[in-house]
Amino acid sequence: MQLLAANHADDSQPSSDSNRRTSLDGYLLFDLSPLPQLVLSPSCCITRASSHFLAEWHLAREDCIGQELIPFVEKQLRPQNSFSVCYLTAAIDDAITSRTERTSQSIVTQHATAWKARILPIFQEHELLAIVVEWLEAPATLLEHDEIVRPGLSTDEAFRILVQAVKDYAIFLLDTKGRIATWNTGAELLKGYRRDEIIGKHFSIFYGQDDLEIRKPDLELDICLREGRVEDEGWRYKKDGTRFWANVIITAVYKDGVHVGFGKVTRDLSERKTAESRLISAYEESEKIKSDFLANMSHEIRTPMHGMLSACSLLLDTPLTDKQKDIVHIMDESGQVLLQVINDILDYSKLASGSFFITSDIVGISSIITSVVRSVQTTLLPSVHFELFLAPDLPKSVQGDPLRYRQVLHNIVNNAAKFTDKGSIRVRALLQGEDEDSFFVMTEITDTGIGISEPAAATLFTPFTQFDITTTKRYKGTGLGLSIAKALAELMGGTIGYRPNPDRHGSIFWFTARFKKIKSLEQIQDWKRGPNGRTESLSPHPIISSPDLQAELAKAAATKTLLLVEDNVINQKVMLGMLRSLGFRNVALASNGAEAVQVVKGKPAAYDLVLMDINMPILDGNEAAVKIRESGIHIPIVAMTAYALKGDKERCLEHGMDDYIPKPVDKKWLIKTLSKWLLRARDYRKSLVDSRMSRLALPEPGQGLNLLGRTDQVTQTDSPDVEVKPVAQYPAANGYGSELSLSDDQQEQVALGHIHQEELAQSSGQESQPEPAAPAVPAAPAVPAAPAVPAATAVPMDVVVVEQSEVVVGTGQEGQTTPSGSPGQVPQP
Amino acid sequence: MSHTYDRDGEDSFNMAYFGDHVHLATFNQILEMDEDGEHDFSEPLVFNFFEQADETFENMDVALAAEDLDELSKLGHFLKGSSATLGFTKIKDSCQVIQQYGHKQTVEGTAEPDKAVCLGKIKEAINTLKTDKIDLEKTIKKFFGIEDK
Repeated sequence: MQLLAANHADDSQPSSDSNRRTSLDGYLLFDLSPLPQLVLSPSCCITRASSHFLAEWHLAREDCIGQELIPFVEKQLRPQNSFSVCYLTAAIDDAITSRTERTSQSIVTQHATAWKARILPIFQEHELLAIVVEWLEAPATLLEHDEIVRPGLSTDEAFRILVQAVKDYAIFLLDTKGRIATWNTGAELLKGYRRDEIIGKHFSIFYGQDDLEIRKPDLELDICLREGRVEDEGWRYKKDGTRFWANVIITAVYKDGVHVGFGKVTRDLSERKTAESRLISAYEESEKIKSDFLANMSHEIRTPMHGMLSACSLLLDTPLTDKQKDIVHIMDESGQVLLQVINDILDYSKLASGSFFITSDIVGISSIITSVVRSVQTTLLPSVHFELFLAPDLPKSVQGDPLRYRQVLHNIVNNAAKFTDKGSIRVRALLQGEDEDSFFVMTEITDTGIGISEPAAATLFTPFTQFDITTTKRYKGTGLGLSIAKALAELMGGTIGYRPNPDRHGSIFWFTARFKKIKSLEQIQDWKRGPNGRTESLSPHPIISSPDLQAELAKAAATKTLLLVEDNVINQKVMLGMLRSLGFRNVALASNGAEAVQVVKGKPAAYDLVLMDINMPILDGNEAAVKIRESGIHIPIVAMTAYALKGDKERCLEHGMDDYIPKPVDKKWLIKTLSKWLLRARDYRKSLVDSRMSRLALPEPGQGLNLLGRTDQVTQTDSPDVEVKPVAQYPAANGYGSELSLSDDQQEQVALGHIHQEELAQSSGQESQPEPAAPAVPAAPAVPAAPAVPAATAVPMDVVVVEQSEVVVGTGQEGQTTPSGSPGQVPQP
Repeated sequence: MSHTYDRDGEDSFNMAYFGDHVHLATFNQILEMDEDGEHDFSEPLVFNFFEQADETFENMDVALAAEDLDELSKLGHFLKGSSATLGFTKIKDSCQVIQQYGHKQTVEGTAEPDKAVCLGKIKEAINTLKTDKIDLEKTIKKFFGIEDK
C-alpha cells in the first residue's frame, strides 16, 4: 500500500527539526508521557521515540530512529499477525485525509502485547508537519494454543467508508426524533436531496400524503422501537415530486443501552415492481384471450353442430333406404362424438385453468349410480351384464356435487361398456371412511373387457392419450375423459386409480370422493322447503333434480294411497302404469265424479291425494271437487285436464282443487306435482286435527286442563312380498343381457332406503306422519314380469284407519307440536 | 356418448314410419312403462285403444244419424282424451274437430250456429278418423312386430 503521506511533503531530515528539539518542555512532555509515543515525518519515518515506547517495545532508540514506520512495525509483530500492519496503514491514511485523529485496530507484537495506534496528523495550514503515534495497550485474548484472537474487521471508519460509497441504497441515520443525521451517495442519488439541504429535516419528507394521513412515519418508528426493526414497502417521494416503489428497513440504534437514533436503508424497487405488474397484466391478458377464444370456439362450433345433429334426426324420421339410413346413422354418430370431443375439451380447459367449481347440493349416491347404470346398459352388448353392489352403510343423502359425481362415474362406466365384449361390468360403492364432517365414498368399476397393458396404464390419466394406438382407431374418443375424471375426483377431495382385474382379464377403475354430512334438520328443510301453498307456481323445484326427486317420491310412494278419478279406461291404464312406475302401490279407481265423492266421503282420511279428471259423465271433476270440499275434507285434489289453456288452472282452483296437470300427463310434471303435495305439503289430516284442537282450546285458554283430542293414525300393512336387499346382485336375465334385470322402482327402493324418515324422526324426536313403523322398504321381486294392472283388479286398499287412538295434549297453545316435516306452515282452512 | 343402435335404432327406425300420426315423446312415455324389453304394457294398451276407437266410431255413426250434436261432442271428447294420452296426434285432432262442432263451434272457438255445417264437418272428421285409425293400426302392428293379416 502506498502511503498518502508520501505525497504531502519532501523528505525532511530528522535534523531539520532540531530547532524545535531545543524546546525542552515539549521534548520532556513527549519523552516522559506515560503513553508510548512516536513522532513520524510526513513520509512516515520515525523521528522520535518516547522512553516509554522503547521500554514497552523492548527496543533501543537506535533501532527506531530513521526507520520507516511500516517495515519497522512489521518486524516487531508476531509472525502470524504480520498482515495486521495494514490496520495501521489504513488508520494513518484516514487520519491524514480527514486531518483528524484516528485509532487503528489492535496489532500484536512479539511480546504478545496488543496495541492500538492513535494517529494524530499535525498540520500547519495545508502542510503536514508530522504524525504523532500514541500506542494504546489493548486487551488481548489468549486462545488454547496460545493464539491471540484478533478482534473483528469492523470499524466505524470502515463502515463509514463503505456506507458513504454505496450508490444503490440510500443509507442514513436518523436521530431519536426522526430527523436526518447522515446522508450517503446512494441517498443523494435516490432521493435527489443534497446532504446540506436534507440534514436536520424530518424523514417524513419522503412519504406521500396518504401515508402521512395515517401517520405512517411515526408508526414505523414506534414499531421499530418496540421490535428493534421495521420493514415496509411502499411509495416514497423524491425531491422533484416523482415517486418510486421502495423497500425500507429501519433499525433502532443503541449505544451503551441508550437509544440514540435509527438507521434507515431504502431500496428502489420500481423496476422490479414494473416488471411484476407487466408480467401480471400479460398473464391476465393471455388468460382472457384464451377463455374468450374457448367460449367463442365452443359457441361457434356447437351451434352448427346442433343444427347438423337436429337435421340428422329429422332425416332419420323420413323414409330412407337401408343404405341411406346407415349413412345418416354414421353422420349422426360422428356428430355426437365430435360434440362430445368439444365438450370434453371445454371441460378440460376449464379444469386446467381452475375455473371449474364444485357446487353443493344433496347427493343421492345410490340413485346416481343406478341411474348411470341404467343409462349405460342400453349400450351394452347382449353378452355383457351389469352387477350392482351398494354397501348397506352407504349414506343415502350427502352434500356434494351430484353432477360431477355422475360425470366421473358415467365416464368410467361408459368406458367399461365400450371396452367389454362379454362378461360383466360390476359397479360397487362402499363407505371407505368417515369423520365428523364427511363421508369418504369409494366407487369401483370392474369389467372383464380387453384390459390395459402395463406400459399404457402409466399414461391412463394423461390428457389426450388413449391407451393404445391400435384401439384408437377402433374406439372413438378424445382421450380426455379419464383426465377430466381425475381432475373432477380431485376437486371432490378424492383420488382416482386403476389396477388390473385380478380374476381375469379386464380392468378395475376406482375413485373416491369426499361428501359432507348433512348435519341439521334445518339443512334438509332448506333444501326441501318448496311449494306448499295454493298460490305456488308450478316451477320445478330449484334444487333437487328430477331423478333425485323421483327417487324421493318413489320412497314415499309405498306408503301413500291415491284415488284416481278417470272415465276413460285407456287413460286409467296409462295413469295406473305411470303411478306404478313411480312406486305407488295403492291406487284406487273411480270412473266418474259421483263415484269419487262417494269413495272419499266413505273414508275421509284414507287417501293422501286425488287425481281428478275434469270432463266426466254423471258428475264432472269440478262438481266432484266442490262436493268433497263441502263435506269438510281437505284432501289435496289435483285436476287432470286436456285444456292446457290459461284460466283452466284458475277454474280448477275455484272449484276447490289444489293444483292441475295438463293432459296428456307428462311424467316429469306428474312427479313434480305429486312431490309437491305428498312430500312438501303438510298432511291435510294434521290440519284437521289441529283445527279441531284449536277449536277445543279456544274457549278456555291458558287453563291447565288436559284436553283430549283425536288424531288420525294410519297404519299400513306391508305387502307380502316385502324384502329388504341391502346388498343386491342382479345378474342379467337369460338371453337379454342388455336389459338390467331390475325394475325401475326396485332400483330406487334399493337406492333410497329409508334414510329420510329416520333422520327426520331422530332430529325432531316426534314423528306422527303415517309412516310404517318398521324401516322395511318394499322391493319388488327380482324379476318383475307384472303385466299392466287391469282396471277391474286395481290395487286393493290396504289401509286401515285407526281413529280411536287418543293423544293427550297439554295446555292449549303449547300443546301444539309442529310436525318436523313442515315447519311454520299454516294449517289449511 | 355414442350409442349402439341395435335395439334403440330398431325402434327409431320404425318410429320414423309413424310420421305425424304419433307424438313420439308421449308415446315413448308409454313404451317406457314396459318392462323386460317386451311390450307387455304398451301393446295390449294400444290395442285396447283401437277397440275403444271402433266402439266410439259406432256410437258416433249412430249419433250422426240422429244428428245428436251433444252426444257427438261428448264422444269426440272421450276419444280425444285417450288418443292424447297415447300420443296419437291425428286421431286426437279429428276428435277435437268433432267435439268443437258438436258444441257448434269452429276449432278456433268461434260460434258456428249452422247445424248442417257442423254435421258436415263432423262427418268429414269421422271419415278422416276412420282412415287415420286404419293407417295407424298398420304401422303400430309393424312396430310391435305383429303380422298384418
